[in-house]
Amino acid sequence: MANNIAAQRIQREFKEVIKSDEVAKCAIRVELVNDNYTELKGEIAGPPDTPYEGGNFVLEIKVPETYPFNPPKVRFITKIWHPNISSVTGAICLDILRDQWAAAMTLRTVLLSLQALMAAAEPDDPQDAVVAKQYKDDQEMFRLTAKHWTAKYAGGPGGNPDFEMKIRRLTDMGVEEDQARVALSSYNWDLERATEQLFS
Amino acid sequence: MVIASEAGPSKSGREKEGSPEEKDDRTFECNICLDTAKDAVVSMCGHLFCWPCLHQWLDTRPTRQVCPVCKAAISEDKVIPLYGRGSTKQEDPRNKVPPRPPGQRTEPENNGGFPGFGFGDGGFHMSFGIGAFPFGFVTSSFNFGDHHHQRPAHGAGRGMALLDEDPFVSKIFLWVAAIFIMWLFYA
Repeated sequence: MANNIAAQRIQREFKEVIKSDEVAKCAIRVELVNDNYTELKGEIAGPPDTPYEGGNFVLEIKVPETYPFNPPKVRFITKIWHPNISSVTGAICLDILRDQWAAAMTLRTVLLSLQALMAAAEPDDPQDAVVAKQYKDDQEMFRLTAKHWTAKYAGGPGGNPDFEMKIRRLTDMGVEEDQARVALSSYNWDLERATEQLFS
Repeated sequence: MVIASEAGPSKSGREKEGSPEEKDDRTFECNICLDTAKDAVVSMCGHLFCWPCLHQWLDTRPTRQVCPVCKAAISEDKVIPLYGRGSTKQEDPRNKVPPRPPGQRTEPENNGGFPGFGFGDGGFHMSFGIGAFPFGFVTSSFNFGDHHHQRPAHGAGRGMALLDEDPFVSKIFLWVAAIFIMWLFYA
């Protein structure tokens, strides 16, 4: 019976998102993954004036049977460099997806909240400690790294020849590209330290 | 795109609730199931829900009882049911839910001239008739235990003045009154 409410509500919310202004502005989008409304694919445009601008971020949204009394399970499928999102798994640290969830929230408000999170990170409540540390210690390095990730994974503009070159140096040594990128990003693009970490 | 309605404009017509032509009127949608509210209740912060939906929400998080819309404090006994016309008997399939809390009716304020007129039933009325000034204290203090709406302060105040004047005399009056009342009961 709870499943019934969940499916019925997602159906309504789905329509709400499709009709919303944000869709018209291409800021958010949802797509059905299966017919019974238990899994959806979300998309968020990287907010302007952030390193994520111009990128398109794909999310996995799983709707529990107890929805809307419990929050949907959301994670980033697109890799992203952000203090509150795991650079490895895409897991999100956001209070409304945990204990601060309220039954009146919808797919639309969740996606908009995530977009807001992308624009305003909370480094003091991190999901990815390495990213959070970089965010706090070296804002510019963080910005460049996040922008590089956006270009690489989310179809954002601009490359970074220096970063690309360093990644190539590692892949030439037989390291997998994503792994090389994570290591370099974690060590502020210090090739020596990244290499050391990868081969230790 | 409205996240369903500040319940403010509800004055504009409660009869609309539940009528099928008004499907587009999203003002009366439950904030949880997003359907037209069944067994509607409204929280103190003004947000509309189906009673089964709200009950399930409060049940899911017993330690954190907040409004699903605005996160104001909320509790089951502080919600107000909405009784629209012709929307009372809607059987809900999810009806393993305790009944919706009833509305709280307060009797309109009864501003009678003298408090004594308020409770003219049986023997009390009679004792009022006889107990002119000195008995005022006794009659009103006797009536004190009565459940009816009254203003005991008035009578008590008079009694206090009496006691101040002469405790002995008032004591005698008290006894006389007691005996008188006993007589009333037994007669």
